[in-house]
Amino acid sequence: MMFDLRFFEIYRNADFLWRLAEGAYLSITLSVAAALVGLLAASLLAVARYAEVPVLKHIAAVYVEVIRNTPLIVQLFFVAFGLPLLLGYQWPFWAHAALGLTLNFSAYFAEILRSGLVAIPKGQIEAATALGLKPHLRFIKVIFPQVFANVYPSLTSQFIFLFLTTGVISEIGVEDLTHAGVFIDSRTFRSFEVFITLTVAYVAIALFFKGCMLAIDRHCFGWKAR
Amino acid sequence: MKDLFVALLGKPFGIVIFQLLEATQFTVYLSLIAFVGGGLIASAIALARISGKPGWQRFASGYIWLFQSIPLLMLLFLSGLGVPRLLGQDVNPWVSAIVSLTLYSSAYLSEVWRGAIQAIPRGQWEGGYALGMRFLPILRTIVLPQAIRLALAPTVGFSVQIIKGTSLAYIIGFHDLMNLGKRWANAPVDGTEPFVIYPLMALIYFSLCFPLSRFALVLERRLGSYSKGPQITAA
Repeated sequence: MMFDLRFFEIYRNADFLWRLAEGAYLSITLSVAAALVGLLAASLLAVARYAEVPVLKHIAAVYVEVIRNTPLIVQLFFVAFGLPLLLGYQWPFWAHAALGLTLNFSAYFAEILRSGLVAIPKGQIEAATALGLKPHLRFIKVIFPQVFANVYPSLTSQFIFLFLTTGVISEIGVEDLTHAGVFIDSRTFRSFEVFITLTVAYVAIALFFKGCMLAIDRHCFGWKAR
Repeated sequence: MKDLFVALLGKPFGIVIFQLLEATQFTVYLSLIAFVGGGLIASAIALARISGKPGWQRFASGYIWLFQSIPLLMLLFLSGLGVPRLLGQDVNPWVSAIVSLTLYSSAYLSEVWRGAIQAIPRGQWEGGYALGMRFLPILRTIVLPQAIRLALAPTVGFSVQIIKGTSLAYIIGFHDLMNLGKRWANAPVDGTEPFVIYPLMALIYFSLCFPLSRFALVLERRLGSYSKGPQITAA
C-alpha cells in the first residue's frame, strides 16, 4: 500500500490560500458576532425565566428546549430556506447564517446563565431591592456582574464547542472555512490533505479563542479569586 | 402502513410523513451504534486516564483532547472522503458515519466517566488499599458503584448530542432523516416546501431528544451529578 500525500498542492496555490484565509475570517467574525448578540438575547431569556415574567417565561422555556433538542443543521436550513420563502424576503447567505447561529447560541448560553442566576443567593437581590434600585438596575448592577464572573468559564467552553460546529453554515452557501475546503477539494481531489488542513485550522482557531478568553478573564474578572 | 398514512393525511403529505418516519430508523440505529461503540472505547480510555500510569494517562488525555477538538464535520469529511481517496477505495457511508460518530462520542463519554470516577473521594481508594485490595477490584466493587450514579445523568444527556450529531452524516451520503428531509424540501411538490419539511424534521428530532433530556434531568435530581450546571456540548 502506498500513501501519496501532496499537501503542497494546497499551500503552493495562492488562490487556495487566499480562500482559506477569507473563509477563516468569515467563520471567526460570524461566530463572534453571533456569540455577542446571542449572549444579549440569552440574558433576556434567562431573566424572563428567572424572574418568572408571566407569559415570557413559558416562551423562553419552549424556545430554549426546542433549540437545544434539535440539530443546528435543521435550524439553519429552516432559517435559510424556510423562513425567506414563508415571509417573502431575500437576504445574503451570511445574514441567514448569522441569524441561525445567533438563535442557536442564545439558547445554549441562556441555559448556562440561568444556572448562574439560580446560584446567586436571594439575599443579593433583596439587598438591591432594599437599596431602592429599580428592577432592571438590580440585574444590571448587582446580579449580572456576579453571574458573568461565575459562569464565564462555562460560557467560554460552550462558545468553543459551538464554534467547532459552525462548519455546517457552509451547507447553506456561506463561504466559510469549510466551504473553502470543500471548494479546494473539488478542484484538487486531495480530500485527505484538504480536510487535515481544515482540521488543523479549526483547532488552531479554537486555541486562539481560548487564549483570547483567558486574557479577557484576567482583565475583567481578575477581582474574583478562582 | 404507507396506505394508512396516505388515507389519513392525503396524497403528498401522508407519503412524506411515512418516508420521514421510515428514514428516522436509520438515525436511531446510527445513534445506538455510536453510543455503544463510543461507550466501549470510552471505558478503555477512562480506565487508562485514571490508571495512575503516566504513559497511559498522557495517551488518554491526548486522545480526549484530540477528538474533542476536531469538529464532527471534519471527522465525517475525513472518514467519508479523505481516507477513502487516500486509500483509493470506496468506503460505505455506514462505515464512515459509524467510525466518526464513535470517535466523537468516545472522547466525550470518557471525559464524563473520568469526571465521575474522580469525583469519588480519595479515601474510598485508600480504604480499599488498606484492606489489601488491588486497583481493579477496588474500582469494580467500591468506586464504580458510586461513580455510576454520578455518571448516569450526564451520560443520558450526552446521548442527545449523539442523536443531533447524526444529522451531519448526510454530508457523506448516509441515508437518514436529514438526508431524506432535505431531498423532499428541494422537491418541487406542493405541500413539501422547506417551511413545512424542516419544522416537521425538527419535530421528529425533538421527540427523539426531548424525552432523553428530561430523563437526564430527572436522573440528575434523583441521583445527583458530579458536575453542576448544564452540560457543555453542542451539535
